[in-house]
Amino acid sequence: MNTAPLLEVRNLRIEFPTRRGTLVAVDDISFSIAPGEVLGVVGESGAGKSLTGAAIIGLLEPPGRIAGGEVKLAGLRLDTLPYDEMRKIRGRQIGAIFQDPLTSLNPLFTVGQQLVETITTHLDMSANKARTRAIELLASTGIPAPDRRIDHYPHQFSGGMRQRVVIALALAAEPKLLIADEPTTALDVSIQAQIISLLKKLCREHGTAVMLVTHDMGVIAETADRVAVMYAGRIAEIGPVADVIHRPQHPYTVGLMGSIPTFGHETERLTQINGSMPRLTAIPSGCAFHPRCVHTFDRCPRERPGLLPAGTSLAACWLHDVTGGRVAA
Amino acid sequence: MNAVLKNTTSTQWEPAADQVIVRAENIAKYFDVSPPWLNRVLERQKRAILHAVDGVSFEIKRGETLSLVGESGCGKSTVARLLVGLYTPTFGRVNFFGRDLREMNSQRGRSLRQKLQMIFQDPYASLNPRWRVADIIAEPLKAHGLMKDKAQIIARVDELLQQVRLAPADKLKFPHQFSGGQRQRLSIARALATKPEFLVCDEPTSALDVSVQAQVLNLMKELQREMGLTYLFISHNLAVVHHISDRVGVMYLGKIVELASRTTLFKTPRHPYTCMLLDAIPDLEMSGRARTPVGGEVPNPLNPPAGCTFHPRCPHANARCRVEVPLLKLYRHPGGETQAACHGVEENRI
Repeated sequence: MNTAPLLEVRNLRIEFPTRRGTLVAVDDISFSIAPGEVLGVVGESGAGKSLTGAAIIGLLEPPGRIAGGEVKLAGLRLDTLPYDEMRKIRGRQIGAIFQDPLTSLNPLFTVGQQLVETITTHLDMSANKARTRAIELLASTGIPAPDRRIDHYPHQFSGGMRQRVVIALALAAEPKLLIADEPTTALDVSIQAQIISLLKKLCREHGTAVMLVTHDMGVIAETADRVAVMYAGRIAEIGPVADVIHRPQHPYTVGLMGSIPTFGHETERLTQINGSMPRLTAIPSGCAFHPRCVHTFDRCPRERPGLLPAGTSLAACWLHDVTGGRVAA
Repeated sequence: MNAVLKNTTSTQWEPAADQVIVRAENIAKYFDVSPPWLNRVLERQKRAILHAVDGVSFEIKRGETLSLVGESGCGKSTVARLLVGLYTPTFGRVNFFGRDLREMNSQRGRSLRQKLQMIFQDPYASLNPRWRVADIIAEPLKAHGLMKDKAQIIARVDELLQQVRLAPADKLKFPHQFSGGQRQRLSIARALATKPEFLVCDEPTSALDVSVQAQVLNLMKELQREMGLTYLFISHNLAVVHHISDRVGVMYLGKIVELASRTTLFKTPRHPYTCMLLDAIPDLEMSGRARTPVGGEVPNPLNPPAGCTFHPRCPHANARCRVEVPLLKLYRHPGGETQAACHGVEENRI
């Protein structure tokens, strides 16, 4: 077994220079994804999860920029790669699926033209062969009558079918890593279940590693091997998916899990985390979660916690610091 | 109930607890989405009528929460709009405290309208960005002529802000100074201004993050207990519906296919569509249950399948399902009482 990680992100920092000063949207995050592994990235809006995905494929919208750290794909530094080199990686080595399937497809070209273009750009194939391959791809995503549907335009597909086309496009060049940013958020629940099982099946067949960005803990529970919980541009907790869901270690994860209504147990009141996610202009000192945390003690506003071992997970919380000792937990 | 119906001529009522305050009687809303006349004549295109809501009946008792769930395009938001009078039903009628909702637009209907308020999905679009919070919340008071005195209005706004757990000082701010969850609380405060009995909530938490959603759901439950509010709750999120409702109706292509108390519906779903929806929810418990993702998608509502509209996706469909439209009927079973519109349930096949 190859145990070297496929994707390695070290101390990544993403900044947005503005007139009123620099905003730090993603602050010093590190994680890795092994080949074939599905890493879920959850967090509420503004946590920086989509930006992290965009930074990895080099699609950060200016003025956003990577201000520190490194991104390595199979040992190759991506963040310092020139634009043209990066273009070759994108699509070939890293595929991407975005939330809205309609805006990821060009409305002026048929689905087939877009698939053939992607295939011939990245793989050494004739247009004829590429078309055959495109039909195979559409068939593998469960689109009925793919040989006829290939000549249809995106608007002729329904939302669920469009997302299948987008998945076919993302997997066209057999990338090693797939970045799926909220792939099921725009879809209805019954379609969502179909798309998730399709994504799981295809990635298992191709051995593709997936970075699954979503705010839906249910989707993560079904799909991911490991999960990273993000809060205010930082990773609050990262660990195996079952442990993070059933034995959350960071107070934020505990609150987050408690605030999701479930069918299992009847509760009159959901656990609520008071307040809301801080704005990027006013991220609290020390641990960014401390103003909303029920366990805050004097160390939290002063020092920022790193990821500390907590059970089988890593949690950025001073409660888990064995050496420093808790002062007032 | 009859006593209420007799009250139709008076504007005063003292409703007792446990009484039906809202009744939808076979309501329907059709939209004409035909191409323009010239195209119809030149290109021989047909008229197209969209049956957004097609014969829906239900009752809501005082103090209870009825939820309507369904996928996009099933007509649940149209029902919400019919119930507050934003749309007039194509046929059928909505009874509110024993009076036809159509009266609401008359002068006499004003007192009726105060009892009925709506909370919308998008807290960014439902608050006027140029108005201060004080003006936004005071608008219903002024529009209904409930209060004239400025000091009195300010006192009421302060009280409302505190009821939704915001500070009275917030009334001087503009909507953009609030987060999504706080904005949704402002819409709730505005809806509560006229002391309504009945709130129609159209996806009130769909635009919010989970931790904020929990805050809003908790607040809605607390307010219901404090003020005895009655809710019609529209959502596509079954977990949220399970948390907030007393009774749940499942909609599919403009019709209610199953209606039962929350426990009955979630423990012993009868209609195959309900079973499918429950099965499709990603499982947080990860009990490793085998999921059977039902294939297919919601058909085009302009051209719905004949018979039971769910038959093309239903694993139990037979010849009867393809021709005959099933009606919503009451079934008693060990799990409780369920109203379902399904031939399979009627024939005891499912």
